[in-house]
Amino acid sequence: MTTAIQPAGGGALGRPSASGLADVIDTILDKGLVIDAYVRVSLVGIELLTIDARVVVASVDTYLRFAEAANRLEISQTEPKGLPGLIEDVQRGGARHKAKGALEAAGDKLRDFLGETLTEGEQARRRRQGGD
Amino acid sequence: MPETAVYVYGIVPADVETDPDARGVRDAGVHVVRQGEIAALVSPLTGEGPLGRPEDLTAHAALLDGAAAEVPVLPLRFGAALADEQAVVDELLSAHHDEFAAAIAELEGKAQYVIKGRYDEAAILSEILAENEQVVQLRQAIQGKPDDATRNERIALGEQINNAIEAKRQADTQAVADVLTRHGVLLNVREPTHEEDAVHIACLSETAKQADLESSVGELARAWEGRVKLRLLGPLAPYDFVVGQSGEQ
Repeated sequence: MTTAIQPAGGGALGRPSASGLADVIDTILDKGLVIDAYVRVSLVGIELLTIDARVVVASVDTYLRFAEAANRLEISQTEPKGLPGLIEDVQRGGARHKAKGALEAAGDKLRDFLGETLTEGEQARRRRQGGD
Repeated sequence: MPETAVYVYGIVPADVETDPDARGVRDAGVHVVRQGEIAALVSPLTGEGPLGRPEDLTAHAALLDGAAAEVPVLPLRFGAALADEQAVVDELLSAHHDEFAAAIAELEGKAQYVIKGRYDEAAILSEILAENEQVVQLRQAIQGKPDDATRNERIALGEQINNAIEAKRQADTQAVADVLTRHGVLLNVREPTHEEDAVHIACLSETAKQADLESSVGELARAWEGRVKLRLLGPLAPYDFVVGQSGEQ
């Protein structure tokens, strides 16, 4: 076999959500080196779990969800700010939560970007560089 | 079926040493098996149930990504195991020694970075509504009406929105690719993994130029603030850029 350093032509498999695990799944299941010896996995009796992969294909469900989101967006833009006095007190408490939530979200966004450059523990160190 | 096997993470230069505390899949200690100029990062694997639990996946990735920050590494796809260390030497390292050594030499000083962007739903919908009269009309047609009575209009509206997002994804992916290309990095544009993905690109960059990459992606992130949530992952092992031609499905 030949080992080429070239784009692998990304897999078309998609998965939901964007957690750290999702990032890992996007990467290690359908990319990386596959070798002849790989098929011997079955010979040593190690069973691989089948990970349920979701392909992003636009479906009626997707369309309906987008339509609902657009509908909701319209409502939130046209509804007057004040809601009936009956539930105003509850709303006030909720609004504080909302403001706090937005601030936290903004902070997360910043952290997300700044912190995303993973500085995982360097577990493998090079002898000629790291050895002293 | 044997009690144990050897789990293989990837191939590194023979002069790599592992940290005694390095832990891999199933929390097993990681060490190297050397042959000539190359070595395999391995750990013992005991036969307790199938591989593929979340912690198995993250252990594989964490070990390889940690290595990639320091040394050139050829990551194996998740789940490679051989019978014993002799099999690692005979079937993996000796059998492919020269190709692996050449590939490692090409990767010297480089690692993979992944740029992921996700649209803010409210922001992107507002943008589409401002640009597309047909979407505005369809939205008006469903407003205040029961779901069942407007199913066709809802599907049409959703499809228009989906198409608009696809067009935006293409344009925004191109914008990121243009910026990355100016850095002279190798790119792999990945398929979206979510319907509101804006960008999903892997690139192979010199680790010494990581600060430049961060600054360029940071500029884009600021320009798209509130519209696209942009993330830069890395350094990672170069999963997208190593391709073994045989054995590839």
